[in-house]
Amino acid sequence: MMKNLRFLIAIAVLLVLATACGPAPTPEVVRETIVVTAVETVIVTQEVPVEVPVEVPATQSPEPAAPEGPSGTVRFLIAENFWADWDPYQTTAQSQMRIEGQIFDYLVDIPVLAEPPVPMLATEWTRIDNRTWEFKLREGVKFQDGSNFDAEDVKASIELASGATDKPTVRSQNWVKTTVEIVDPYTVRLVSEQPFAALMAELSDTVILSADDVANNAEGIKNQPNGTGPFRLVQNEVDRKVMEANIDYWQGPPKIQTLIWEFVQDPDTRLAALMAGQAHAIDRVPPQHLRVISGSDSLKLFSVTGIESVNLFAKPGRYPIWDSTPEFREAIMRSIDRQGLAGLVGGETKLATSFLPTETLYSKEGDPAFTKDIDAAKALLDEAGITGSAPEIEIRCASGFLPRAEEVCAALAAGLEEVGLTTKIVTTDLGALIDDMFSEGGTGDMFHLSWSSNGDPSSHLMVYSSTFAWYFGDEELQSQIDLVATTTDPIEREKVTNDLQDYMWEQMWHVPLYNSDFSIATTANLEGLDVRPNFKTRFYPASITP
Amino acid sequence: MLKYTLLRTTQMAVVVFGVVTLVFFILRFASGDPARMMNPPGTPEDMVQLTREKIGTDKPLMVQYWNYISGLARADLGTSFRGSQPVLDTLLGAFPNTALLAVVTILFSSTVALILGIGAALGANSLFDRSVLVYVSIALATPSFWLGIVLVLIFSIKLKWLPAIDMTGPKSFILPVLTLAVVLTPILIRTIRQSFLETLSDDHIRAARARGIPERRVILVHGLKVAAIPLVTLIGLQLGMILAGSYVVESIFNWPGIGKLTLDAVSNRDFPMIQGGVLIAALAFVIVNFFVDLAYAALDPRIRMGSK
Repeated sequence: MMKNLRFLIAIAVLLVLATACGPAPTPEVVRETIVVTAVETVIVTQEVPVEVPVEVPATQSPEPAAPEGPSGTVRFLIAENFWADWDPYQTTAQSQMRIEGQIFDYLVDIPVLAEPPVPMLATEWTRIDNRTWEFKLREGVKFQDGSNFDAEDVKASIELASGATDKPTVRSQNWVKTTVEIVDPYTVRLVSEQPFAALMAELSDTVILSADDVANNAEGIKNQPNGTGPFRLVQNEVDRKVMEANIDYWQGPPKIQTLIWEFVQDPDTRLAALMAGQAHAIDRVPPQHLRVISGSDSLKLFSVTGIESVNLFAKPGRYPIWDSTPEFREAIMRSIDRQGLAGLVGGETKLATSFLPTETLYSKEGDPAFTKDIDAAKALLDEAGITGSAPEIEIRCASGFLPRAEEVCAALAAGLEEVGLTTKIVTTDLGALIDDMFSEGGTGDMFHLSWSSNGDPSSHLMVYSSTFAWYFGDEELQSQIDLVATTTDPIEREKVTNDLQDYMWEQMWHVPLYNSDFSIATTANLEGLDVRPNFKTRFYPASITP
Repeated sequence: MLKYTLLRTTQMAVVVFGVVTLVFFILRFASGDPARMMNPPGTPEDMVQLTREKIGTDKPLMVQYWNYISGLARADLGTSFRGSQPVLDTLLGAFPNTALLAVVTILFSSTVALILGIGAALGANSLFDRSVLVYVSIALATPSFWLGIVLVLIFSIKLKWLPAIDMTGPKSFILPVLTLAVVLTPILIRTIRQSFLETLSDDHIRAARARGIPERRVILVHGLKVAAIPLVTLIGLQLGMILAGSYVVESIFNWPGIGKLTLDAVSNRDFPMIQGGVLIAALAFVIVNFFVDLAYAALDPRIRMGSK
């Protein structure tokens, strides 16, 4: 018996040793080889200082030590799944807009939001009148299929995107209908139906397609995009997009040979992959991971305050007291420790001091600051005659969407209950929350949600306008939003935007809570990554050193 | 045997058809409009409607169902809402990865469970037996999502011995297989131990020993053959479970299999992909069960297929 037992134990021990005590892994694929080598180099040399937090300007140059021509593989794990396909202008999904920036170019770029646009496919521009702009186009640019870029491509792209053609596009909601007159093959005039103040911001977000593709290959480009950008798509899986360097890129070949964007839902998995050297960049680092990354010599952190408003959105018609009583709305505002919430979420999260995030053009701090004041909140409820009589407020939160949503909602409820209001927190996934928001039988009164934009006030204000679900029928608000959208003189536009912010702060149709942290972590050997507050993340001209 | 196989095949087809129909309607009636999920919250209705038209959820429910069922008959599972790739191709790409993980896990778990279970039965109430039972208790109480992360922390991040994610070669199997094995082995070990304890006192074992057959042969041939019968059902169920997709483990290790694919699809309300994932799961279960029944007959001559 004992002999058999010893035999069995010996086999068990051998099995455990065989599985657990192997030597260091020899990578099986090319990308893993690069990852392992890169991490080892960083650990040994530690040449690259850790930058925490860092705001990276668009013009940041790559390190001179980077090799000439494209080399290496960069794997970026993203937090939001990809859009359905590459059908142009049919989404405003952030993940799609971000990856499009690797494959396509724009007429202009706005690297720093408060500063004027810089040339991309357009080299110079002149304002003709408040509806018309003339653009000189860059010559010698080629699409990835080898065809030349010219005015026809701009006409086809802008007219399709802006809704000036018969084909409806989702992107057109950001645009004013704009037609394009071709002056010569490299000069165009953009004529908008009405003054369009956000034209430059939208041009910096609207990819330029090939006119031939738009006319003759509409189905083909849904699966194989064809841009003038630094990378071309070579592998198109549901949750993984592989791109290769476009060596004919007009700004010079990228320094990265292969760029992989891959959707990995779980933030812990993304972090593990980065720390194990199996990814070079990870997206949307949650606050609880920031300390781990900033404490590592082999990793870097890019943290900015994103152009993303996290609000407690009130659904019109669901809670009549909210709709009809300004004192009640102010009481809610004063019962919430919004600064505390920003601290709870952490990272570069900042208190929302306006309905426009701080990084948005013309953002202005609201006055008063509406800090938490329980006595003032109770007095406002008394003044409105609703102390103790307000019905329960149902607050809907989405788990797995915004960081620490459950804790934030619990803190919101605690604040409201402190002033004598009763609350009910309902936590669901995002799909169920959105369904409740839109269905007639929905029961949620307030929704913990976010809205992000490209940094232009009009793009951000859209969510409060009459075309969106959060509009309370406030005609004054809509008229001021329209004014911001159509005032093209910058000085005048700043003034009307400030007036609008004051008005919104006074009306308080929703509760602005905080502006989100946007953090991307990378391995230390990835240089020159361009991370912007509007979530644009560009891998050109970034490089990876072996 | 032929009659039995035909009968079981018909039963399997009915079960699978029932499952896919149920899932189709549950998805449509459950909350979460995929078109809204694909647009930022608050997007105007006409824009969302454009997305619905694009993915086909604007059509009446029964039209969608007919399209789905008729497509199924042609082995067309539709296209993913995210990415527009054919669902069948995507699933066929993922299934071998899950199947490989399942087979390796089952082989490893069964081997470990046999060694520990038989060892514990042979030395009942010994220190080894008690140690095995302690392991069983701890393993039963260990959640796989926690264990997976801890293993990654130790072996991938600290020691850098093994890959943290992906299916990149033989070494990438170790952590997912260990994580799954800790979930699967406790019940296997307990079953083997109990079954062996009962078998070892059977008359045929005593008779084998009386005939002078070596102890190792008595245990591994005469004992194991009888004790393995309940094990076959259990292993079959566990194989079916992993083949259907080990959602948590595949997600933690970014394993490109059916589980991760389905989990991602659920969070995105990618109906065609969820339906495809469930179809694979249903098929895996019924087919494995069918083979378990056949294995029963092979192991126990008293059981005859189709006999009354």
